[in-house]
Amino acid sequence: MSRYQSVFKDEAKLDINYIPHRLPHRDKELRLLMEFFSFMLQFPEKMAQRVLITGDIGTGKTVLAQRFGEEITREANRHNISIRYVHVNCREYRGSLFLILQHIVSDFHPNFPKRGYSAEELLRNLVQMLDEEKVYVILTLDEFDSLIEREGSDAVYKLTRMQEGRQNKPQRLSLICILRSLDSISHLDASTRSTLQSNIINLKKYSREQLTDILNDRVAVAFKPSTVPEDTVDLTAELAYSENGNARFGIELLWRAGKYSDAEDLSSVTPECVRQAFSSIIATVRKSDLASLNFHSKLFLLGMTRLFKESQKANASLAEAEKAYAIVCEEFKIRPNSHTQLWKYLQDLSTIGILKTEVSGTGSRGRSTLIYFQVSTDELGNELKMVLEKEGA
Amino acid sequence: MDVEDVFSSRARMKILKILAQVGELNGSEIARRLGTNYETTSKHLKALEDESLIIHKVFGRIRLYRLNEHSVKAKAVQNLLEVWERFQ
Repeated sequence: MSRYQSVFKDEAKLDINYIPHRLPHRDKELRLLMEFFSFMLQFPEKMAQRVLITGDIGTGKTVLAQRFGEEITREANRHNISIRYVHVNCREYRGSLFLILQHIVSDFHPNFPKRGYSAEELLRNLVQMLDEEKVYVILTLDEFDSLIEREGSDAVYKLTRMQEGRQNKPQRLSLICILRSLDSISHLDASTRSTLQSNIINLKKYSREQLTDILNDRVAVAFKPSTVPEDTVDLTAELAYSENGNARFGIELLWRAGKYSDAEDLSSVTPECVRQAFSSIIATVRKSDLASLNFHSKLFLLGMTRLFKESQKANASLAEAEKAYAIVCEEFKIRPNSHTQLWKYLQDLSTIGILKTEVSGTGSRGRSTLIYFQVSTDELGNELKMVLEKEGA
Repeated sequence: MDVEDVFSSRARMKILKILAQVGELNGSEIARRLGTNYETTSKHLKALEDESLIIHKVFGRIRLYRLNEHSVKAKAVQNLLEVWERFQ
């Protein structure tokens, strides 16, 4: 393969800021969001909406809100209503309401002065601007907990209650607040809390199958055809699932694995590329962990690293691992240990975190144990060979 | 005001030039860029506003000034400034 060929078709589709057209397994939530705001498309001046989106890291909260922003803007244009969707990450503005409001104001008046007034004045000015432009804003406050941490109940109260002083005037500002859990709002005063909690969308952690779907979608738009085999996607999904079902982690892993593939001039992104990528994010196996293993554990591990290197698969069965171990024992002229002993070694290795095991579904011969590596098997194999040769000598 | 009175003031020309370049600015920032105090700047701003060359919008305590897009004279000044900059 020539030096300048890449497995990527469009790397930007793996960027953290990319908003995909399709959000697998979040259709229901997207429809729910559209439902919450459907009234706004008919009578925008009559109601300001408030929605909370909660969920762990990597469950799609940000991308859901952004996708919704695109949809609602498109729908609003169809209805000849001027809706502006603004997405703000509160942590980027150090949780400061003042800085957040300045960001929004600068959309309308880029040269608005940066000082000389309070956050409350700025909020009033913002509403005045919206009145003059006849615009309705849906403001998403991402990482909302950092705003609560810094500003407390007062700021949130101002934002949520600001429109109550405007009798018979259009309701200009709707809020979507994104946070990891409802715990963050527990120390707000009861009144503010009740205002925010009117509509809650909770995003559950992705399952392995859901992560596979998400990753397959990204592979289709980001990589050239046939450069990312099923095994690679499966392994990436498995690793993302082990990181708390974090889809964003999985997507980053795919990107890094693609980079490793390009760096080694490969024609496809192999499971080993994924393992190398994972190692580069997560600390590799410590030398002390290897040193703590007994001789046969190390032989068993070496056999497995060679098996993975040869097969280029994402996982292997215990039976395959035992065969590979037997070959290594022959090489070192040592009698192999029993199946029961190997099973124990496997548990120890899993406890240390060098590999993971999983019992596969029932087949015609019953269930079998599958072995996955989370670290680079090439690097591990090289390290083991050196250590074993020293010990054997 | 006659045209020679408008153009004979360096400060007033500079205000028009600044607004033609950035679009919109508050009084304090205009004074800062002019290098004069707020009071003197306000007099010039008022003179230009009386000629309908500029207008302002109030947001609380902030006054944002810009060239009057509905004024033929303001358009003519803007064109003059653009040509002058291009062939400087």
